[in-house]
Amino acid sequence: MKRSSFPFIVTLLMLFFLYLPIVILVVNSFNESRFGGVWTGFSLKWYHKLFQDRTIWYALQNSLIVAVSASVTSTILGTLAAFSLHRYRTKLQKIHYGLIYAPLLIPDILMGICLLLFFIALNIQLSLFTIFLAHTTFCISYVTMVVLAKLHNFDFSLVEAAQDLGASGYTVMKRILLPLLMPGLISAFLLSFTLSIDDYIITSFVAGPSSTTLPLYVYGMIKYGSPPIINALSTLLLVVTFICVSITYRLTKEDAQ
Amino acid sequence: MWGTLEFEGISKKFGDVQALDQVSFSINKGEFFSLLGSSGCGKTTLLRLVAGFEQPDAGRILLDGQDITHLPPNKRPVNTVFQNYALFPHLSVWENIAFGLRVAKRSRLEIKQEVEKMLYLMQLEDQAHKMPDEISGGQKQRVAIARALVNKPRVLLLDEPLSALDLKLRQKMLLELDLIHDEVGITFLFVTHDQSEAMAVSDRIAVMHHGKIEQIGTPIELYETPRSSFVAAFIGDTNFFDGTVTETVSNESLLKQTCVSEEASKAINDYSKLTVEGLHPILCFNDKKLSNGELVHLSVRPEKIQISREKPDFHPKHNLFSGIVDDIVYKGDHTKFWVRVDDYRITISQQHRSFLLDQKPIRWKEPVWIWWHADDGFMLERYLESDEQLTQLPPEKIGGDAHEHQEGG
Amino acid sequence: MKKQTLREWLLTAPSFIWLVFFFLIPTLIIYAFALRPADFYGGVKEGWSLDAFRSLARPNYFTILWRTLFLSFATTLISLMIALPVGYYIARCKKSTQNLLLLLVVLPFWSSFIVRIYAWKSLLHPEGFVKQLLVHLHIISEETMLLYQLETVLLVMVYSYLPFAILPIYAAASKFNPQLFEAAKDLGMSRPQTFLKVFIPGIRKGIVTAIIMVFIPAVGAYVIPDLVGGPKTEMIGNKIVQKTFIDRNLPEASALSALLSVAVVIPIAALSYFQFYSERKQRTVKKRKSA
Repeated sequence: MKRSSFPFIVTLLMLFFLYLPIVILVVNSFNESRFGGVWTGFSLKWYHKLFQDRTIWYALQNSLIVAVSASVTSTILGTLAAFSLHRYRTKLQKIHYGLIYAPLLIPDILMGICLLLFFIALNIQLSLFTIFLAHTTFCISYVTMVVLAKLHNFDFSLVEAAQDLGASGYTVMKRILLPLLMPGLISAFLLSFTLSIDDYIITSFVAGPSSTTLPLYVYGMIKYGSPPIINALSTLLLVVTFICVSITYRLTKEDAQ
Repeated sequence: MWGTLEFEGISKKFGDVQALDQVSFSINKGEFFSLLGSSGCGKTTLLRLVAGFEQPDAGRILLDGQDITHLPPNKRPVNTVFQNYALFPHLSVWENIAFGLRVAKRSRLEIKQEVEKMLYLMQLEDQAHKMPDEISGGQKQRVAIARALVNKPRVLLLDEPLSALDLKLRQKMLLELDLIHDEVGITFLFVTHDQSEAMAVSDRIAVMHHGKIEQIGTPIELYETPRSSFVAAFIGDTNFFDGTVTETVSNESLLKQTCVSEEASKAINDYSKLTVEGLHPILCFNDKKLSNGELVHLSVRPEKIQISREKPDFHPKHNLFSGIVDDIVYKGDHTKFWVRVDDYRITISQQHRSFLLDQKPIRWKEPVWIWWHADDGFMLERYLESDEQLTQLPPEKIGGDAHEHQEGG
Repeated sequence: MKKQTLREWLLTAPSFIWLVFFFLIPTLIIYAFALRPADFYGGVKEGWSLDAFRSLARPNYFTILWRTLFLSFATTLISLMIALPVGYYIARCKKSTQNLLLLLVVLPFWSSFIVRIYAWKSLLHPEGFVKQLLVHLHIISEETMLLYQLETVLLVMVYSYLPFAILPIYAAASKFNPQLFEAAKDLGMSRPQTFLKVFIPGIRKGIVTAIIMVFIPAVGAYVIPDLVGGPKTEMIGNKIVQKTFIDRNLPEASALSALLSVAVVIPIAALSYFQFYSERKQRTVKKRKSA
């Protein structure tokens, strides 16, 4: 059957639409000119300016602290959740699944204000710690979904085979489960990390006065002016993202086959 | 003494389903023993009980006299070859095979020696350092077997190991399994739903149905002397006849009637004449020593019945009927006929021992004569009408049930 | 049996307790806060009051709500219309191409959300690339503002949420049996007929997922209208932030959030009911067949 080229054209246009702003952004980060409309020459000056901006480094540091701690915590909690959801089919798990799935559906802004009110009600001071709590909370759901999918595809007869060959529970965990699930755990961690580093809305609600994260700082810069160093910063962020995605892609490639 | 298995009163229920019901039997050391049955009969459950992945609700399992019923799987001296092989994807062939030895903390030298021995036995030397996704299905199976055997288990459990292979490979691997069994001498417990597989390689077979053992015996015993209608119909194909004994006839009197010389080897035994509804009387060998008035269920295998256009000479021990050919299926080396005799459709299998095109083959709707020797029918001990569903009768109309019009029992 | 349940509890407890404490309880707190009177300093006083809910009756709130719903519906519709042919196309490519295309679709999602919105802001800037080009081609005049319009917000919303529509459509399309197309052609259907009557019903589960995955975040959008929109494009999200941080009126912010939660819960409830109903129907059909 001769294929209509309409879907193909739409796909091509869609990809063009998706990448146009990003490409322009990257190009402009090397643009001498202050305004993106005119190209006045190749320049790295915006990158220089970027590296000289102290506040950005402070914000980045905060973002990293939160992202790493939230990712580690949510990966552990989410993996445990995935194991219990996969293994048991009781009523408890049904409720458990609802608790895990709901945060994925709720818009960020609702989650943000909920947590803010919660902290106010409990008289908890807003700080990096509250950001950490918030980020862990929404990351757990993503981690659980990723690990659950990996468990779903996991061949549990391998566990039986290992037991059949004499392995105790600990050996099975160490030699079979962990090595085979590691790619899934790493991609869950990376997903959590990216979500945390990138989060603006929820963070804006629960951040304390001195706990600026990178997105918060960048948002401020964007809203009240558009200094071109944002282009440079964005390009760098894109590069970091690209690396994370490549790693995840390579890790999950075997499963896709 | 190593490798004897005994089952005592094993029962297991899954929810509402009784998977195993008071199963008791034993397996001898070094036997190639098969559990045969269709899905849901309990054979895989029984295997998993031996491996230790399930616990029975009641009963005991004894391995060489020792009660292993409640031992965890990693402590049992048995190993399993899984249906999907369950090779560890992140380990090489070599490491897969070495796994059990490593877990047992054997010395490096020992491990090396044993693994290499096994690689040689299974002809996997060239694959030793490949990963499981780089080898073929047949090779995977050999790795699975090697991985199990290298631990020198007392019993090797095989859970439908050939079902993932295509036909030609399956036949080849089956014979390889037989060869491995001869080489290694360990007791094999083999689970399958394919009766030709089980018949080909087993020393003894247990036919299972609905969680119970229908019959245990050698392949020949099961085929020629099935105790129940299920075994008769599940293994191969057969014809069922029911009747009441009306007369007991002695061998002597029969021999007197014949001009054909026959050995009087069965001199002391008798024959029974059965009255069968919808057919005229059948003569059969009375090995069950039944008396007049008793109900008999007879099984006659299709290859034991002869078919011909011309009426054969009289023989006192032959059961002769005339009928019309209802259906024909040509299978190359033999042809299956379904002949309508009064209310019965009788299945006949005719081997073609000489060039078929030199003969005038029997056609559809032709009147024919069929007959079988009274010694070739076998009396069943247990009979269930539902087992008739297992015989291979062609349907009478589109969407119809083949057994709608079959009369009798 | 007892031993198993203990193990289950231990495994379930960490995530369960965390989520009850940091998700469930906070969600319920909104309704509590909405029913309290406001404190002048930005907190809440003791006692109960319906002032916050009454304040929802302001006429411009109605406009905001209507605008939010309209933009969300429009975003969902446009995203769906793009996602259907795209998902269909990707699902029919060979596996390696599929993986590549999916990666391309998902990659922007992994990059910073704010960066992408900023990219549009700078692109549509008065001195930006697109504006210069369109003026040069005489499509628009020099005074037209590309930014801060309702259409701008719609455009950027579609841009942001499109991958959420493409992925479920692709997932459903890849499970769709391609031989059904051939069967339809064999029985004489034209291509548009096949698309409408065979493909769309066949992937309806994916379509429903796509709708949910676009509509709900769209309804709660804040960053997009804040960065590329203007006073004419205010949505519920903007109002909530304004009430919280500028007006410092937590009960009113909570009341608005409660309103937003209703707009979120209704589609989810409808979806669950729809799923439950169709599963019940399938079960009755199965019962009749086996009877």
